Amino acid sequence: MTLNMRTAAIRVDGLSRRYGATRALDEVDLTLEQGITGLLGPNGAGKTTLLSILATVSEPDAGRVSVFGLDPREAAERVEIRRRLGYLPQELGYHRHFTVAGFLDYVAILKEITDRRRRADEVARVLAATGLERRARTRIRALSGGMRQRLGIAQALLGRPDLLILDEPTAGLDPEQRLRFRELLSGLPGDPVIVLSTHQADDIAAICPQVVVLLQGRVHFAGTPAELAATAAGRVWVADARDPHAHLSWRGGDNRWRHIGDAQPAGAELVTPTVEDGYLLLSHAAGAR
Amino acid sequence: MTSPCPDAAGPVAGAGWHAGADLLASYAAGTSDEVATWSVEAHITACGQCRSALSAQADPQRLARNRSVLLVRTALPDGGRTGRLVRRCGVPDHLLRLVAATPSLRRSWLLSVIGVLAVVTGEAAAVRYGWIRASGPRRLAGYPDPEVLAPFLLVAPLLVLAGVAAAFLPTVDPAHRLAVAAPFSGFTLLLARTVSALAGALVPVAAAAFLLPGPGWLPVALLLPSLALCTLTLAATTVMDPRGAALTAGALWALPALLLAASHAPLQIVQPDAQFACAAVLCVSAVVLLARRDHFEWG
Repeated sequence: MTLNMRTAAIRVDGLSRRYGATRALDEVDLTLEQGITGLLGPNGAGKTTLLSILATVSEPDAGRVSVFGLDPREAAERVEIRRRLGYLPQELGYHRHFTVAGFLDYVAILKEITDRRRRADEVARVLAATGLERRARTRIRALSGGMRQRLGIAQALLGRPDLLILDEPTAGLDPEQRLRFRELLSGLPGDPVIVLSTHQADDIAAICPQVVVLLQGRVHFAGTPAELAATAAGRVWVADARDPHAHLSWRGGDNRWRHIGDAQPAGAELVTPTVEDGYLLLSHAAGAR
Repeated sequence: MTSPCPDAAGPVAGAGWHAGADLLASYAAGTSDEVATWSVEAHITACGQCRSALSAQADPQRLARNRSVLLVRTALPDGGRTGRLVRRCGVPDHLLRLVAATPSLRRSWLLSVIGVLAVVTGEAAAVRYGWIRASGPRRLAGYPDPEVLAPFLLVAPLLVLAGVAAAFLPTVDPAHRLAVAAPFSGFTLLLARTVSALAGALVPVAAAAFLLPGPGWLPVALLLPSLALCTLTLAATTVMDPRGAALTAGALWALPALLLAASHAPLQIVQPDAQFACAAVLCVSAVVLLARRDHFEWG
């Protein structure tokens, strides 16, 4: 599937990757442009595998990847991709004895920022961007989970990368921090390419002009959040009672039942679908296959 | 440009001056030279009066940014006395910072190395001095109890090897994925960490060898096998998985060491013939490592 695009920053053709008998990615074709792309999918859908391949950390079994026209299979081009990359892995390990500033300084060196003054400038900039200025001297082992996640985001921003790959960046963030994270991504200068994976459909709806739904290692949808929501048009109802024939039903905060199905439940009213409705319907259809 | 600061306290402001208006203005505008910039930054950390004077002149956003940078600089570790000494010897600051993140330089790792060495050295000393009864024949020209050295001879180079392997194995480095995705030369990082891990492990091994009731040349004789094993491992990482490389090199030492121990001649593993073999392995491995350094992939 291909997004309607201005400039193809990333191209993925026939990408496959197996782990033993498990097929993590199954001939994925994708084209991503400048701006923010949200990767939506359940656990085990292949999101982390796809992102780690784009980040040049893993290699595919088959298929091709092109990042800014560079081929990661070539050593020199792989290094050039890494020079333009900011990467937040899903499970980022930390040297726990490091302070926050010390860790960022270490990552800045790995990003070839070897000049001491420039490193300090960069570390100060990303600390301010992620609201961690007052924690510069704090040891990482003393940080809360949410603060560590912000530290992970901060290290990805070092060096003002052209490509940001963020694997579940909002995991562990409270609602206010998530809001601030959305503002941060939306306000990044230079129009970088941002690919982020998440379970949170509302993150996608809020900041991603493009969304890709990955299910069982395959791309099941690529388009805008509005188009994803529209896939469930005419199939989402709200009622006072549960409908046993609906594909999916759950009770909302207003104590009413939301149904996704093919037939209108008795006494139910049709509502405008959300991005989450569209995603859930796709997941259900993929699971039923 | 400056005026006396009679009431200033502390190591910086104690120099006894205040920054003049011109100096503060040029600093605020970002036009001061490097020496003046550093001087003002060092001074305003301890002088509230000059901070106030500066804030009146400076763009608040720029001032906040400068203060953040200053706080970061003071928050960054300088490596202590050892770090300053190594920097004076010409080692770049950024290499020192990378070395500081070497997993096998952590206190817990070094303590476990010392612990293992203490056990094998203690066992050898206990047998040698009759606190524990040894079994089997005891013979080797010149040395009354060669068998007591067998555990140490087996373990010592393996500990050095383990320290070096821990410096680059993905399972030991918590942030290895960041190192993989970074453009910094994996080979340079490997060498920096290896040198630091070698230094960290060889010191306790040599110290333990001095304490052992064996030949006086033993500490020196262990140097070559240790270096050969480590270089062999690094060279092997350019053609195979790092964990497999470390295990293979470890087995290449452990097997002959165990066989010689079983035949009651453990010291043969560090005798001249073995030293020549280790020197050959070291040379060949170093050549392979240099020739294939572009094939090394971090992680």
